[in-house]
Amino acid sequence: MERLGLFLCTGCEIGKAVDTGGFEKLAKKAGATVYAAHPCLCSPEGLATIEKAIADGTVDRFLIAACSPNAKPLEFRYHPTKVAVERASLREQVAWTHKHGDEDTQLLAEDLLRMGLARVSKLHLSKPPSEAIDRTVLVVGGGAAGLNAAKAAADMGHPVVLVEAGERLGGHLATVKTVTPECPPYETPHANRIADLIGSVERNPRIRVLKQAMTKAIDGQPGQFSVTVAGAAGEETFKAGAIVQATGAKPYEAAKLAHLGYGVSPDVVTSGELEVMLSERKVLCPRTKATPRRIVFVQCAGSRDKDHLPYCSADCCATTLRQLAAIHELHPDSECVVVYRDMRTPGQLEHFYKGVQERTGSLFTRGVVKQVQVDGRLEVRVTESLLGDDLTLEADLVVLGVGMVPHSADGEKIRQHLDAKVRSEKGDSEVQRKQAAQLAEELKGYEGTEILHLGYRQGPDLPVLSNGYPDSHYICFPYETRRTGIYAAGCLRAPMDAAQAVEDGWGAALKAVQCIAALTRGEAVHPRAGDVSIADFFMQRCTQCKRCTEECPFGTLNEDEKGTPQYNPLRCRRCGICLGSCPERIISFPEYSVDAVASMVKVIEVPEEDEEKPRMLAFLCENDALPALDELASRRVEWNPWIRIIPVRCLGAVNIVWIADSLSRGIDGVLLLGCKRGDDYQCHYMRGSELANTRMTNVKETLDRLKLESDRVRIVELGRDEFGRIPEIFQEFAGTIERVGPNPYKGL
Amino acid sequence: MTESTRQPILVVGAGIAGVSAALEVAETGHEVLLVERDPSIGGRVLRSFQYFPKFCPPSCGMEINIRRFVRNPRVRVMTNARVVGATCRAQSWSVTISKAPAYVNDRCTACGECSKVCPTKVADGFNLKLVEVPAIRPYHLHAWPRRYVLDRKACSTNCKACVDACTYSAIDLAATEQQETLEVSAVIVATGWDPYPIERLSDLGGGVFPDVIANVMLERLASPSGPTGGKILRPSDRTPPKKVAFVQCAGSRDVNHLAYCSGVCCLDRRTPGRNEKLLTQASEVDGVKLVKGKVGRIERDDAGTLVLRVEDVESGRLLKASADLVVLATGMMPGVRTDWLPFALKKDDDGFAVDDPEQRVFVAGVTRRPEDVAASVRDATGAAARALAAAFKE
Amino acid sequence: MATDTNIAPSREFRDEVMRRGGADVARCYQCATCSSVCELATEANPFPRRQVLAAQWGLEERLAKDASVWLCHQCNDCTARCPRDAKPGDVIQAIRGIAIEKLAFPSFMGTLVARADRTWPLLLGVPLLFWVVLLGASGSLTTASLVYHNFVPHKFIYMVFFPVTGFATVAILIGAWRFWNLLGKGAARSGSFLAHLVPVLADIVTHRRFASCGQTVSRRWAHFILVAGFVLAAIASGLIIPAMYVFHVELPIAFWNPMKLLGNLAAACLAVGTVWLIMNRMDHTGRTGKATGYDWFFLVVIAVVVATGALVEVERLAASPRAGCLLYILHLASVTCLFGTFPYSKFAHMVYRTLAMVHERMAAPAGSSNQSVL
Repeated sequence: MERLGLFLCTGCEIGKAVDTGGFEKLAKKAGATVYAAHPCLCSPEGLATIEKAIADGTVDRFLIAACSPNAKPLEFRYHPTKVAVERASLREQVAWTHKHGDEDTQLLAEDLLRMGLARVSKLHLSKPPSEAIDRTVLVVGGGAAGLNAAKAAADMGHPVVLVEAGERLGGHLATVKTVTPECPPYETPHANRIADLIGSVERNPRIRVLKQAMTKAIDGQPGQFSVTVAGAAGEETFKAGAIVQATGAKPYEAAKLAHLGYGVSPDVVTSGELEVMLSERKVLCPRTKATPRRIVFVQCAGSRDKDHLPYCSADCCATTLRQLAAIHELHPDSECVVVYRDMRTPGQLEHFYKGVQERTGSLFTRGVVKQVQVDGRLEVRVTESLLGDDLTLEADLVVLGVGMVPHSADGEKIRQHLDAKVRSEKGDSEVQRKQAAQLAEELKGYEGTEILHLGYRQGPDLPVLSNGYPDSHYICFPYETRRTGIYAAGCLRAPMDAAQAVEDGWGAALKAVQCIAALTRGEAVHPRAGDVSIADFFMQRCTQCKRCTEECPFGTLNEDEKGTPQYNPLRCRRCGICLGSCPERIISFPEYSVDAVASMVKVIEVPEEDEEKPRMLAFLCENDALPALDELASRRVEWNPWIRIIPVRCLGAVNIVWIADSLSRGIDGVLLLGCKRGDDYQCHYMRGSELANTRMTNVKETLDRLKLESDRVRIVELGRDEFGRIPEIFQEFAGTIERVGPNPYKGL
Repeated sequence: MTESTRQPILVVGAGIAGVSAALEVAETGHEVLLVERDPSIGGRVLRSFQYFPKFCPPSCGMEINIRRFVRNPRVRVMTNARVVGATCRAQSWSVTISKAPAYVNDRCTACGECSKVCPTKVADGFNLKLVEVPAIRPYHLHAWPRRYVLDRKACSTNCKACVDACTYSAIDLAATEQQETLEVSAVIVATGWDPYPIERLSDLGGGVFPDVIANVMLERLASPSGPTGGKILRPSDRTPPKKVAFVQCAGSRDVNHLAYCSGVCCLDRRTPGRNEKLLTQASEVDGVKLVKGKVGRIERDDAGTLVLRVEDVESGRLLKASADLVVLATGMMPGVRTDWLPFALKKDDDGFAVDDPEQRVFVAGVTRRPEDVAASVRDATGAAARALAAAFKE
Repeated sequence: MATDTNIAPSREFRDEVMRRGGADVARCYQCATCSSVCELATEANPFPRRQVLAAQWGLEERLAKDASVWLCHQCNDCTARCPRDAKPGDVIQAIRGIAIEKLAFPSFMGTLVARADRTWPLLLGVPLLFWVVLLGASGSLTTASLVYHNFVPHKFIYMVFFPVTGFATVAILIGAWRFWNLLGKGAARSGSFLAHLVPVLADIVTHRRFASCGQTVSRRWAHFILVAGFVLAAIASGLIIPAMYVFHVELPIAFWNPMKLLGNLAAACLAVGTVWLIMNRMDHTGRTGKATGYDWFFLVVIAVVVATGALVEVERLAASPRAGCLLYILHLASVTCLFGTFPYSKFAHMVYRTLAMVHERMAAPAGSSNQSVL
């Protein structure tokens, strides 16, 4: 039984801007049984009115027509399992930004009330998922990041299984004698304490270490992952709640650096190969077995280079400094020369740079190594150096500071390859089969590169953003990946040094522990942490079009053989992108549904064509665009009063049926304002904005086909700080609509 | 995480590191107390224009973090507050928090009526005193909590204009400081950093010429929510500069100033990891010329133009570069002053604080080491983990 | 810049730079603060960054033909601002010391003076022994007299100082010739030597270049007074021969004789300049570079010359023949040492810097401004 209410605030100029006299009648017409107006709804007295109505049971859903949902969020905080609440921004979108007492302003306020009431009357109360959650943290990879993640999760009281592919733990750190200093004094390399850490992890009663073991399958969803590990002692399957992937990095393939002499002369080695010599306490030229008189270190070998690795690996400069110190100790007579592009020793590693320079007397020059010629003695050709534009350095040994490549797998590409292979055999037409075969051939390199073996429809590993690094909001939320409950750590996540990898292990472990805790409470994880709703699929109407399974940025949905989507609520981040993708409109959330928004569109009053008052609808992403609009309102900047605003979870959560509905109701144009897309996306659901853009391109094509001007629909990227652009965007859009004329469907 | 202990974890400082640490702890189900001196969370990142290398606004990520606070009943945010007493016991800390007088209380709706009638103007501290604002005003427009602040010391005697204008009884000019003592299990220190004072760089015109400004000030000038609405204007005559010179590494990597590299500024084109993209982009922008070399001296010629003397290391020539505006990229000094915390922190040789696991004190962000936002968030998450591990009991 | 240079770093050379005062050269990270703050650095050839780099790498040949090394007045603006405390001023000073040694003729003398921190007893002792033996043999030692020309007959003075000065002149000319040729390899020159020498000398007389140095303003004046002292002393000594032999002025010359006054003024200048410079050197606040044995040797010898010279005159007035004669011997020995080591001690920079300044003018492309504008 729906008991709908409207609580109106007349404070903050709302009462002055519009005539609220007719609002009670409007509410009644919209089905509200309770109406209350208060001069300051957010005051304890005002809030008590609402509390009383809830306690009396006279409302179970209501609209707060006051300020923006971003204002007073704590005061108007109600539990979604108890009441359904919507807010209409009469303050920000009406009183602060439009002419008081104006007819357009009044119409705007009334529309906002109708829209809000329509929306809230379609909402449902959330029922949090209640599932058995396993507390085990699975850590894949036993290097510095993995070991620390395992220790951290165990220290926070969780059982841990650490899976390491190799025979020993320690990863890259186990191969080096000394480490880059991570605490004062920074002047010299520090002793490597990885053995202590390995010991404490192996002795920890909460940690089970599986060496020479690989994950063979990870099925299910976070909180309930079913993990199969194949190891020396055979296969075993166990449950895990969350996963830290810390599979590290590999050195860049030096074989691709023949111009630097690698593979041409045995006396050209990588920094990793030098590390082996150093651990044997003997640095000799591989060819002559003599102690090198001069060693030339070539920094950025195959890094910061568009033909090789475009990025900087962040650790090579410090590695070289460490190796200089070690060589100086072993062979003080060997002269070391470093050719760098920029010495990158950020932060307190500056002391290390200075210390090594001073203690070893090694020679440094900026320069670009064009070539290492092998002609008896090695000749390093350097250009743009501090010592001259073109110079040659003779060397007995050349060390290439090669960068690191994440030991990741591109889950989406692996999946594409598999799909293409299937299509190449079972495709509908000869053309399709041929194209698929070609694609399969192109993607052949991805075959067999799986690491995690996730049982996800979108692929067996984490999706990557660029250069093999997992897709992530790497500045603000560095551990987030596009797979709920799976967190990347260490050199897999970003190029970094050992100290950073240690920190990364701790951080990723916390995220894993946090995920398990959130799922136990029935809550979503980032970015809608605390959301207890889950999606509902009305499966009877599903046509197995697979859009939801393909478009969910988080791989929430699997498919059965027929292509029927299988929802995994514990993977779900509640972004609503599936809802936006579904042509059958069968997906809904208790607090956000196709029906609820469509009903808002339906109640907007569209003036007749002769009134010359166009109506435009703007869908605003609630994450950035809506707060930007609110900030604009705080500055009391006026905008076009013919625009009605509907906040959405994400532009990706906009179902095109809403646009179709709007246009068929005679609304003249639809604008979508959302986050930046592309490589530097700002979309909090990573792909939402991108998907919306693709969908709108399709919508525009359809409109063109229907001879309805495609200019009526526009998508605009707006950053959180770009509130200043909003009036201009609105005005420009209004101008476009004026140009293309009234919607021909008006009044039909 | 078993909710084995009821005592909250105290996080001191609500910049990006403190906010991240507090939320990460709270989302594991643990109680958190976040104490911030300023009236808003956000610290220095909200004073910045954009994050690199994505050139995205800091308010975007902070917006999500505010939502995380709103949705999380386990975190208590105390702004305008500082820790004035702290005693470490075997299992817990007893801390005393002092809350500045709440001249403007929770009833404030940010409607702005008080600002309209306020007769007193003060320099806007948030905007580095570049503009004047009423004594009662929003701290800034995306401050959270969203509440006005009153510079009570600036009020003229007996002025009650704002109190009379406020229809919500949100202003109490007689409010007093409040103290509260509570038990916490562990402490995360994230008190941030101070920019190296440009006055100490007088050779580079810092504190001498008005159009030699610090990078932190440029961030405010560039920000759309800043004092100039995002227009970069010269402080001396409020005109847009035609030529801007960026002096990198001003007073950093320098034994006479800060011996370390702040990791975010940057002279040696230190754009590690993904940030490499940033360097590539910057060098491709038209009208940008990168010169490698430390600037020795900045003088002002008779026409008022600033002249920089620098040797271009790549060409080996000495250049005189003229500019209308000079931005000194000054480094970061750890914010571990004793007036910020009532107990002594362990510090390293550069003055950065280090973890003290014995006392269950953990450090996050630039208080711990010079680093950028991404690294601060990463380290804050790590500090959250260490604090939780320390607070964990079977 | 030369193309395709085969770079041959020399650790020996770098070690030598470090031993001779450039001990912190390895710290430099080539930030170029030094060149940017140097008031004397020119647009086309700023220094001392590149010189410090060459010193780190031990590129002796490069430095040998680099005039910039000599254009530096070691004001230490660079050292004061160096972010790594690599002390570029000291490094350049050390490079100059090595250059003087390497240019020396005969080379053993160069080495001997270069090692003055250890060889100073020899360098001072030999002239002293020589004078003692000479005077002993001539019987003067037993007839101590305050009429110094009776004690040391003029012929002895001529016998010793004409050859010593002649030797020093030949030696420094050979050094200068070598140096000039090396500079020529570093950069092509044009124009006439003499035409460019004149403005250089004007520069030197006024200490104009020195004046632009920032950190140690006082050193400019100290140096100026010292140079003035030497010039005045040279004039006074030059005048004394015609005075004696043409005008037959009686010795000792009367106190109020203008020539005597000039000599005393010279002595006063030398005394003030020397004390000032020594005090500068003792100032350890980092404004001046660290003094090595080589630097001290030169200063101490001048100090001894001035001190003994002044005391000899005072003694003459105070009339204590034995002490007077002893001081006179010391004075003669230290002057011999000063003249004899002229081409190898820091004194030599007088010639080399002058040449470098002339070279700089002759090598500068016509019409080039001091600094280019970005």
